Amino acid sequence: MRNVIRKILPAVALLWATSAMSQDDLPIPADELVYCTVCHGIQLMGNPIIRAPRLSGMETWYVEQQLRNFSAGVRGLHEDDTIGVDMQPMAAVLTDAQIKAAAVFVNATRSTSPKITISGDTLKGKAHYSTCAACHGVAGKGNEALGSPDLTIPDDWYLVTQLQNFRSGVRGSHPADSYGMQMRASVQLLADDEAIMDVVSYISTLRND
Amino acid sequence: MKKPLTRRHFLNLVGAAGGTTAIYQTSRALGLMEDTGPVAQLDLKNVARSRKKVAILGAGISGLAVAYELERAGYDVTIIEASHRIGGRNMTLRHGDLIDEMGQQRTCNFDDDPDLYFNAGPARIPGHHHRVMHYCRTLSIPLQIKSNVSRMTYTHEENKFGGKPVRIGQYLAETRGLLAEIVHKAVNKNAFDETISVEDQERLLAFASSYGDLDPNGIYKGTLRSGYKSGGFAKPAEIFERMDFREFLSSQFWQRASFMFENPDWGEPLMEAVGGMDNIVKGFARDIKSPIRLNAQVQSIQLQQNGIDVVYNHKGKRKKLSADYCFNSIPTHFMPGIPNNLPEDYRNGLKSLQPGWGFKIGLQMKERFWEREGIYGGATFTSQRIGEIWYPSHGIHGKKGILLGAYQFYDPSMFFDRMTPEERIAYAANCGEKIHPGYSDYIEAGVSVPWRRMNHMMGCGTRFSEDARERYFSLLQQPAAGRHYMIGDQISYHSSWQEGALASAETALLDLDKRVRAETGESRKA
Repeated sequence: MRNVIRKILPAVALLWATSAMSQDDLPIPADELVYCTVCHGIQLMGNPIIRAPRLSGMETWYVEQQLRNFSAGVRGLHEDDTIGVDMQPMAAVLTDAQIKAAAVFVNATRSTSPKITISGDTLKGKAHYSTCAACHGVAGKGNEALGSPDLTIPDDWYLVTQLQNFRSGVRGSHPADSYGMQMRASVQLLADDEAIMDVVSYISTLRND
Repeated sequence: MKKPLTRRHFLNLVGAAGGTTAIYQTSRALGLMEDTGPVAQLDLKNVARSRKKVAILGAGISGLAVAYELERAGYDVTIIEASHRIGGRNMTLRHGDLIDEMGQQRTCNFDDDPDLYFNAGPARIPGHHHRVMHYCRTLSIPLQIKSNVSRMTYTHEENKFGGKPVRIGQYLAETRGLLAEIVHKAVNKNAFDETISVEDQERLLAFASSYGDLDPNGIYKGTLRSGYKSGGFAKPAEIFERMDFREFLSSQFWQRASFMFENPDWGEPLMEAVGGMDNIVKGFARDIKSPIRLNAQVQSIQLQQNGIDVVYNHKGKRKKLSADYCFNSIPTHFMPGIPNNLPEDYRNGLKSLQPGWGFKIGLQMKERFWEREGIYGGATFTSQRIGEIWYPSHGIHGKKGILLGAYQFYDPSMFFDRMTPEERIAYAANCGEKIHPGYSDYIEAGVSVPWRRMNHMMGCGTRFSEDARERYFSLLQQPAAGRHYMIGDQISYHSSWQEGALASAETALLDLDKRVRAETGESRKA
């Protein structure tokens, strides 16, 4: 037993040393952006207890777009948007420069992929995903030209809530949210919660770490 | 003359009669045991020689108490605090103070006057909170009586008694009169079974008559205990007629005004720190020499083979603190968002805690109009969303005063949290009008503190389901890997009370001391 520990310890120490080294490269948020990390976690790793999704490495253009939507009340003001309502006032006070700075910070953050919390049928999910792939890409990495974000970044539980929100109209009903309206139309292809669980479970298999 | 009976002698007598269980139970009843009795000396072993390093995460009441005790026992202590200030939820707002609500940062607009302050967090100390009292004594924090209960304040229910507020004194007298009359009738109709002797029935009648101030025939016809309707001084007294008892029975609200103060945590007399509850925080800060890093957010907590590493950001730089022990008072709901390698079951335990709610409004009133209504301290209860109005016990007959204008501690809908600061004050003003006509005109300034939306806090106390408490509480009271102590009121049976924070600190410190002594083969004296 002691031998095993002797063998493992240096390996653990080395692992920590490398992760500590890479920690130095992680971005440190400016004071006014520390707020983001209070809910979304360190390096925006997400916090399911606060229902704040993982944002680490999210595309700059998408973060800007969504912050502007929140800021303008295009997103987060629907009375049934119980998560968005917490985010909306945070974005509402940001200046244009702060929105840009926030997007750059979000994009620079790094964290390991979140744990899988949804258990759906990935085979059925793959079949459903063929429609999604048209905009979000076969690998789920998104397509800026189509306004489609990378789906491999947020937590699975968050994708489920957003798909449900699009289906119910909590998200994607505002006339100024044209991409959201497109998504709202597309999501009607997912017949029920089971289909949503399946497709999200499949999307989880597309994460590459 | 016989020698007076000492406590020890008394306990021996009890022990002889009832065995050790009786001694234990009697000790508890006398308040001699640790958890509820006077605070025992911590008597921590001095470790100055080995300079054991401690990282304290969070400078609230629990973190400050741990820092205070450990630096006196020779530990090398560093305190890391994420926000711009120390104290945690012990926050007293005065002129110019920053209210760091997420998305709605602002400053307190009260006049610059030492009497005009608002305790946005803890505001009351009951006498049986021995640990808080111990530190107030140790740190020389002057206390004063805070009136929590008054017969002159009101209970107000929107759809009872025509929506008019009723003085609590009158309300209590009426409910007692009603109850006493029923008991009186029941005794006279022999409604009790035969186990109540005739003699006891007589006693019960006498008690009921006295309890409800009944007339000689056992009828309640109103009482002076309700207060004077008119006269009583230069003119003859007129007392209130009895109220419609059906209104009482149909009320769902009476429990608050009637029984709230029978809970020992709210029972009179309560205390408060003279000049603001944060004087306790200032007292700790004055006597703690260890460094306190503000605006320092923890980035990672990693147990190591021989210690624990805490990485935090400070002044734009990432710092690593390698310590022997860590005392962590970060709200548990933030822990899933902080990289750590704490054991899985421990992490699951942390996740089982949910943040609680807490919302308060403080209003600066340009005149102390309530004193002209005979109200000096105490609280009014209303069925409206504001819940309560508190009247200050200090600054009596001064020009201005700060009222507590709303107090909600259970509101899943986060009704006030969702509003702008201006909307909250306007809403509270409207509610106040129903109790004190002209209320809004007195409001000069106001602050609102929704703890669920306060930066680096996002909650007030914790909610533990019965199952989760059963499963995880004792695990979370123990240090992870013997090095990481979770502390704060969140790890106590008294969430949202300073006493809970101090109880968790004490539990952790005693455990640490046991471990440190064990290293050299010592043990704590029982």
